[in-house]
Amino acid sequence: MSDRSFTTKEFEINESGNNPAIPSIYGDFQPVLEDVAALLLGRIVSYSRDSKKEQNSKPYEHLSYRIKSEESMRAKCAKLGLDATTANALSSIRDAIGVRVVCLFIDDIYENIEQIRHFKGCKVVDEKDYILQSKPNGYRSYHLILNVTELLNELVLPEGSFRPECLYAEIQLRTIAMDTWAALEHEMKYKKDIPHPELISQELKRCADELASCDVSMQTLRDLIRGS
Amino acid sequence: MKVLLAEDEKDLNDVLSAMLTHSGYEVDSVLNGAEAVEHAKNNVYDAIVMDIMMPVMDGITALKEIRSRMNMTPVLLLTAKTEVSDRITGLDAGADDYLTKPFAMGELLARVRALTRRHNTYTPRILTVENVTLNLENAELSCLNSISLATKEIHLMELLMSNPEVIFSSEEIVNRIWQDDEDADSELVWMYISFLRNKLKAVGSSLQITGERGGSFCLTSINI
Repeated sequence: MSDRSFTTKEFEINESGNNPAIPSIYGDFQPVLEDVAALLLGRIVSYSRDSKKEQNSKPYEHLSYRIKSEESMRAKCAKLGLDATTANALSSIRDAIGVRVVCLFIDDIYENIEQIRHFKGCKVVDEKDYILQSKPNGYRSYHLILNVTELLNELVLPEGSFRPECLYAEIQLRTIAMDTWAALEHEMKYKKDIPHPELISQELKRCADELASCDVSMQTLRDLIRGS
Repeated sequence: MKVLLAEDEKDLNDVLSAMLTHSGYEVDSVLNGAEAVEHAKNNVYDAIVMDIMMPVMDGITALKEIRSRMNMTPVLLLTAKTEVSDRITGLDAGADDYLTKPFAMGELLARVRALTRRHNTYTPRILTVENVTLNLENAELSCLNSISLATKEIHLMELLMSNPEVIFSSEEIVNRIWQDDEDADSELVWMYISFLRNKLKAVGSSLQITGERGGSFCLTSINI
């Protein structure tokens, strides 16, 4: 059965660091990371189907994932003073696998979090509520770090494959409004020579607070419509 | 407009009440400072006219008490004293104007008109109750994070944060916030109360708005 919402576009397309002459920081593990990401997405799609049957509404609007690019991973290792090894990329850094759950309403985010907490073989080891405690620039999202090492048992690894001590995945949950904001902020962060950057940052912060206000108003109206 | 009158001389109190009522004000009159403090705590006034020399609690003490609760209602002090030092004490305690007895009724009414006209400039542009701040210039409600408010939300939040622990009926809220909108009713109030409740929660505030659909509402601390 196909689910049109099961989109798997990558949210950090940055392949410029992939030089075939240099061996990948992930060794031969990259396809395994893809498989683990697919397992996580599959589980989200699965509870979403159940929820749709029960409540006639889907807890997320769309999903996406990415495997952290070669360049970003090496840069992060360097920043943290770690050697650029496969072990460090998978066990010391915890967002080699990134999954994003984009929702229509704020309460949907918390519904998804509850479902994710009960994933078999996964353990929430860290979480940050940037919705309640938004970053100073206005960034809002909920971040979960999952220890997904046990999921490797569900996969057939190539013979003699490297097996990391620990494997983690980061799940980011946000509303469409938060996602739109983050897309623009990301664009600004990576664009050089923007005119009046302080003014733009200040107005981006204002937009974040206005979008947050709309998200809360929309949630309130949905509650009033549903009579809860 | 609503005026609180505190004057212990019964005859003068009656005359002032009649004059103010005749001039179109809704008047609550009391006979001492303690009653004035109590009334100011439980009601919202557009102006307070208060005698200095009163039994139980004098006007200066009552005024200090009222101001200590962040109540910025304009206050006109009436005084029989002519010493400059008393006027200074009164103004420093938070009075906006004073009138020395005996005075002409016309002048008292003119001063009350001036005070109520100036009301907006006396309201601070940033309101803080517990850990929550309402910035009226930026239309921003903040605590752990900040969130924007729509125009009517700001007006309603301003009313509630200027009068914490005061109970407002849906009807009073309609009259104060939607005075120009004849279609406004308690359902509209309920919707905006719902918006503000969720926005207070979204910024992680320790304040809540209690009350039920169609009933009365009050801004109060969650920790009580």
